[in-house]
Amino acid sequence: MAEVFGLYKQRASFIHGLHPLTKLAVSGFFLLAGLSLPGMWSTYLLVIFGLLPLAFLSRLLLELVSRTGRIVLPFMISVFLIQGILWSGGTPLIEVGPISFKQEGVQFAIASSGRILIVVGSFLWFALTTRPDQLMLALAERGLPSSLSYLIVSSIQIVPRFQARANTILDAQRSRGLEIAGSIFQRARAVLPLVAPLILSSLIDVEERALAIEVRGFNYPGPKTSYREIAQAAWEPMLQRFLLLAMAGTLILSIVLRLVS
Amino acid sequence: MADIRRNFTTITIVLIPVAIAINIAVGQLIYAAKIPLYLDTIGTILVGVLAGPWAGALTGLVSNLVWGLSGLNVTYAPFAAVAAIIGLLAGLFAEARWLRSWWKAILAGLITGLVAAAISAPISAYVWGGVTGSGTDVIVAMFRGFGLGVLPSTFAQGISSDPLDKAISFLLVWLIVRALPMRFLARFPGASKTTD
Repeated sequence: MAEVFGLYKQRASFIHGLHPLTKLAVSGFFLLAGLSLPGMWSTYLLVIFGLLPLAFLSRLLLELVSRTGRIVLPFMISVFLIQGILWSGGTPLIEVGPISFKQEGVQFAIASSGRILIVVGSFLWFALTTRPDQLMLALAERGLPSSLSYLIVSSIQIVPRFQARANTILDAQRSRGLEIAGSIFQRARAVLPLVAPLILSSLIDVEERALAIEVRGFNYPGPKTSYREIAQAAWEPMLQRFLLLAMAGTLILSIVLRLVS
Repeated sequence: MADIRRNFTTITIVLIPVAIAINIAVGQLIYAAKIPLYLDTIGTILVGVLAGPWAGALTGLVSNLVWGLSGLNVTYAPFAAVAAIIGLLAGLFAEARWLRSWWKAILAGLITGLVAAAISAPISAYVWGGVTGSGTDVIVAMFRGFGLGVLPSTFAQGISSDPLDKAISFLLVWLIVRALPMRFLARFPGASKTTD
């Protein structure tokens, strides 16, 4: 099973060997703590003392930093420029000619940037270290309906095939003289000849797929077994439970802190 | 609202991944052709119309998670709930037989776009600081310049793009349903409510 699967990057690390649900609980904790804890700098502490060490242990530190940076930087630039300068009625902090960064706006921008960082970072860390099919298998073992795991895994598998088909259609219509450059109206006229063939051709094989999985016992009501099983160290279920408790605790703490301040 | 289990026949479960791939492939195609629309919820709307509101909602939810997990657009994942509402609304409009005429389909799209803008604004304001990191931030900047708050400016940005985008998406779905063979449509519970 060496094929590339979504964002997943194979590395010989201790983190990659962990049970998918353990990693799900870890990134879930970062997500919840980052979005709920008050204070401008709390998310940065989570990144520096939580996410970055974990990325280092996963041997994906550079990968995570560069991927996160590429997504997060445009947001950060926008948020600092827009909310920093255009904050109405704030106290000027730095003045550059006629424009000035307002203190309240910059504080808002720092807090927002931290949230963007932790949301994107923890999601990417999870996606980089966990195979989607293993995650679904792990969830199915815990009682997730098998049809739901079929949905997610097969979506991830057929997306690249569809993108290839979309490019074929784009080339085919262009070679027939379809203009996709020019004014907005010219480009808008190109939508239908591009979109309709893609959708109609893809819906045609839905029926065949339905028959194919039905004859393979997709709707069989009894218990199903899996060819592969996911190993899990004895301490991992305890860690998962602890992280769930920590999430509940963080949520209560955040509410209390916000009520007090 | 229809029974949840009736929404999920085998053919629906097979249709949903294809619809998700349609969302992603069409969304990227439109982006590559530099057309100023998204059109990345056509598959979700199609499932809502053909298979019912619950199937539509599930398609939207999973779609945004797959955008994230596949690494194509991680920033979509927090908006999974918005995508679910779009699929749900598409199903409800189809059940109310709004997908029978083209102008009602457009109206349904406009309303869905308004609702989508309204629920994505608080998410965008809280998680993303009210910006999109793309060209549409000019609109956010304009409204902030007028003295509007973070949330109203974000909402204004949504209003300027979502209703038009969803109206066109609904119209395309109306066209697609008409172009599909009857034999295929007849396998879905929503078929009788969308054709004359």
